[in-house]
Amino acid sequence: MANLKEIRSRISSVSSTMQITSAMKMVSAAKLKKAQDAITAMRPYADKLTELLQSLSANLDGDSSSQYAVNREVRRVLVVPVSSNRGLCGAFNSNIIKQSVALVQGKYGDCEVEFLTIGKKAHDILAKRHTIVADHSSVFDDLTFEAVAAIAEELMEHFASGNYDRIELVYNKFKNAATQIVMTEQFLPIEPAADADQTPADYIFEPSEAEIVEQLIPKSLRTQLYKAVRDSFASEHGARMTAMHKATDNAGELKEQLTLTYNKARQAAITNEILEIVGGAEALNG
Amino acid sequence: MYLEIVSPEATLFAGEVSSVTVPGINGEFQMLEDHAPIVSLLQAGEVRMAGNAPIHEDFADRFTQGANGKTILEIKSGTVELKNNKVIVLAD
Repeated sequence: MANLKEIRSRISSVSSTMQITSAMKMVSAAKLKKAQDAITAMRPYADKLTELLQSLSANLDGDSSSQYAVNREVRRVLVVPVSSNRGLCGAFNSNIIKQSVALVQGKYGDCEVEFLTIGKKAHDILAKRHTIVADHSSVFDDLTFEAVAAIAEELMEHFASGNYDRIELVYNKFKNAATQIVMTEQFLPIEPAADADQTPADYIFEPSEAEIVEQLIPKSLRTQLYKAVRDSFASEHGARMTAMHKATDNAGELKEQLTLTYNKARQAAITNEILEIVGGAEALNG
Repeated sequence: MYLEIVSPEATLFAGEVSSVTVPGINGEFQMLEDHAPIVSLLQAGEVRMAGNAPIHEDFADRFTQGANGKTILEIKSGTVELKNNKVIVLAD
């Protein structure tokens, strides 16, 4: 039987761990609610913008000559993995890192791939083996549209100037609190919209249709990145909540087992003592 | 006509208005009931609307009251689309 004192100290360490994990679960649940609300709030904007852009490109005949739609031969690729700044959220970050590495080794095996990271976790791991051009982990401190839009500008600049021929986003898409889907999305060049056969409305354009589309594309790119970061942020809290929930459950189970062992050991010790006393008394009487 | 003002962070306003004035890229213009369909880029300026639809209290501080009972929202840039008496202002 294990030492009583040892078991006691293990029980107390397990219960304090349990307290931490259950507190973290509560915090994540509260943050998740907020993050989810933020996604819901931005959805109308993103939807309206896409709708407008689509109905306009349906009007525009032929291919748009936007500088963001040029398909060049892919030689230099920039991958943008969106991870989190903190750990303890299950496979959330490792999925992103795995997917990013898979891109380097698989799809873009013959290209020069560099990274622009959003989130410290992916940065720390990827920096060991790959080139990181920039790290924007600080956006998570205060997640605003402006901050993310600035990153989107930087990406557009990289693409327009020919630094990179393709830019890919890797992020966790929020499905529900327990499920995240790892998404790989081509950010630039923009892919032509799946053609909607809308009847073009007879709009008055100010200034001109082409110019409007030209202005809307950067806007929709900014929105796309913002949406990805928001999705990832909500996923992070969901993943952490689930991970912490499991951890709390496991700690509870462990604690129960330990308590059982402790009681058994205590019982055995008492029985032993009684046996000794009885034996001693009998020896005296005998 | 129906007006919706959406920013990337929230839907700021949605309701019936009788007129709306926006800072178009080529100059300010006003839209009234039954205006022809239009899409225009907006520059920094004020969106002014006339009507008495209530403003959601969460965003009340973004709007100011102007002359002639008009409600004013400052925007930095944006896009406006009008179709079938439905105006959508995408404000950045």
